[in-house]
Amino acid sequence: MSDPVPLTTDHPGQLASATPPAPVRSRRLSDRGLAVGFISPALLLLLAMSVFPLLWTLFLSFTDYSATRGGPAHFVGFGNYTAILTSAQVHQRALTTLIYVVGAVTLQTVLGFTIAYLISRRTHGRGVLTTLFLVPMMLSPVVVGLFWRFMLDAQFGVINSMLGSLGLGQVEWLTRQRTALISLIVVDTWQWTPFIMLIALAGLTAIPKYLYEAASIDRASEWFRFRTITLPLVWPLLLIAVLFRAIEAFRLFDLVYILTSGGPGVSTETLSFHVYKVAFLGFNTGTASAYGILMVLVVIVLTQIYLRYLNKLKEG
Amino acid sequence: MPGRKVQLATAAMLLVATTVAACGDGQDGGTTASAPKAPATIPELTTDPLTLSFIWFDWPPARALEAFANAEYKKERPNATIKVNTVPNANWHDAMFTQFAARKTDFDIAILDSQHIGEAVTNGNILDITDFVKNNIDVTAYNPYLLAAYGQYPQAETGKRDENASLYGLPLLGDTWTMIYRKDLIGDKPPQTWDEMISVAERCQAEHPGVSGLAFHQANGSDAAAVTYNTVNGVYGGNLWDAKARKIEGVLNDAAGQEAMDVLVNKMKPLTAKGSGNWFIDEVNAAVAQGKACIAFNWIAASGGLLDPLQSTLGATREQILDKLGFATLPSQKTNLVPLGGMGMHVSAYSPTANQAEALNFMRWFERADIQKKWAAAGGVPSRTDALESPEFLNAGPFNQVYADSVPRMRDMWNVPEYARLVDIENTGVNAALNGAKKPKDALDDIARQQQDVLDSSSRKGGGGL
Repeated sequence: MSDPVPLTTDHPGQLASATPPAPVRSRRLSDRGLAVGFISPALLLLLAMSVFPLLWTLFLSFTDYSATRGGPAHFVGFGNYTAILTSAQVHQRALTTLIYVVGAVTLQTVLGFTIAYLISRRTHGRGVLTTLFLVPMMLSPVVVGLFWRFMLDAQFGVINSMLGSLGLGQVEWLTRQRTALISLIVVDTWQWTPFIMLIALAGLTAIPKYLYEAASIDRASEWFRFRTITLPLVWPLLLIAVLFRAIEAFRLFDLVYILTSGGPGVSTETLSFHVYKVAFLGFNTGTASAYGILMVLVVIVLTQIYLRYLNKLKEG
Repeated sequence: MPGRKVQLATAAMLLVATTVAACGDGQDGGTTASAPKAPATIPELTTDPLTLSFIWFDWPPARALEAFANAEYKKERPNATIKVNTVPNANWHDAMFTQFAARKTDFDIAILDSQHIGEAVTNGNILDITDFVKNNIDVTAYNPYLLAAYGQYPQAETGKRDENASLYGLPLLGDTWTMIYRKDLIGDKPPQTWDEMISVAERCQAEHPGVSGLAFHQANGSDAAAVTYNTVNGVYGGNLWDAKARKIEGVLNDAAGQEAMDVLVNKMKPLTAKGSGNWFIDEVNAAVAQGKACIAFNWIAASGGLLDPLQSTLGATREQILDKLGFATLPSQKTNLVPLGGMGMHVSAYSPTANQAEALNFMRWFERADIQKKWAAAGGVPSRTDALESPEFLNAGPFNQVYADSVPRMRDMWNVPEYARLVDIENTGVNAALNGAKKPKDALDDIARQQQDVLDSSSRKGGGGL
């Protein structure tokens, strides 16, 4: 049992409250000290799990260190960075990644917004529909990759079976250069369109109804209402969703690993997949570290440009 | 506020100092560049309960080994339990070498592909068991090349063993490709030459709609497509490299190599099923079991399931299946080379001392003549000559005679520390050619150039691994 609390305050003359005040804090523990005490565990965790590995990676990126070979890490200056930036192999993977990011994110944005728009116009069953559409997003990408791999199999897959029943020929979805990349985009779109849909739906729901009422009093057409009310108000939120998706798509690894292993040849190898090979096939840790740092830099720079555009849009 | 800035600067400096200190000079806990030596005699074994862990990839022989070892080894060492940990084939190398990189393994015996030995030895990841072998293993009981392939480093010349070279492993499972053919479709006599095999497959495909002429590994994961090309390369008289001069460019893509690539892409690929460009062991087996291929090539150790009526549409009993399926050694052409498969046992340098002692004891036990025969009867492929010639082995499966006949014909790939990158380059290049992403000649020239770059990159400053 705690000691009885004195019914006094620090300020003489002030009447003691009927309810007992909080126990007096130790004089040595200031507000600042308390704040530091509370945030330090999280801060230490952040330092240990994020900042320290990042700095270590940065250090290794200037060396020829190999995790398996061990031995001293020789300083190679910007050698790793120069080699990566001038490598034709890296350029090829960058182009593949760019095509993939643009293709997948564009498709997801168009589809996600369209679905959200259609759902927002419904009055009944909106919740059920939204939940159903969200299911793909809740699955593990590895599981998604595996069942799509079966579905897209040229010999036994359900997709070719359906095409066959329509009188169309077999398509080699995962083993031809063009179709393999398209397949990756389609599978990623299937899984992540709900994410864009969810954010777009949140934006659409937040649009004040009186704007539409005013527009209908003015007999504005449906297209006019969409163009001048719906789209401008949802646009900033949609752009944030696009930003998240683009960052995610930029570091795509799991679907490539499961569906195509980067093939045929290296035609669906993304940058992340290539980093994985550099890091774990040859265990060239120094090069892989520089590769990873460069990828982070690209994301940071592009995100900054994007956010500035977003801020300008808001100011406008 | 200057005080705050000073605090922030101090914190940043501390962090950098900690990082640099942690990195040190890049050395990890007293790592040496060469493999540590195992004792010549087995140290005293513990009587406490002990689990001896292996790491392998997930396939039937892994399950067979665990069952066999627990049934038989326990008779001699009741306190020992054998656990064979498995990972998907594509992750096998990463799973072992990431643990080696951490200098801490959750396995005592790594089952390495013969080509992984160089990487593991130069990194000091596995024990040098040369002295142990001298004292405990009868090396004359083996075909010298098999002993060399699964244990020797530097790599032996094809077909030979260098008795002065060190040994780092002992054979666990021998393997090679077998030709699987449909007796009911092409007749009882298997084709004898590669050209004949192609024309028989062509005719069979034309006569039996819905059945493809050939099925073989084409995937760009693991070593699938690379082994296929290397096999055809060997049969057509090509070479993978000049090991002494460490030269690949101009050797792999010489006239014989180009002919092999042409045969593979332009003559064999058209006889495969549509979309088979990502097929590996399981897919080839599935095509055979479903009666969708006239002739197929697969690893012997992975072929046991083909005789299981529950997995096959070729017959309701093993005998009915065997009426339709035949197993033969690979056809020859300019040479009669066949790919060396299989793996050896290697003791992790980071395993506890008691487990290393148990691992050595297990290896000595496993290589005994009577145990090798029992392993053969349990579905394994032994390496001792007496076990290979024993009725226990030859009668255990219809493909075992194929293995016994193939032993003198085997050729391995490169066993060098750069193996993982060399095989990836070859896999992706051959896969690209097979799936129309590159012209065969361009693909082979690119493979040779990139592999040569890997071998020559040791002196490069930065960018290694690209």
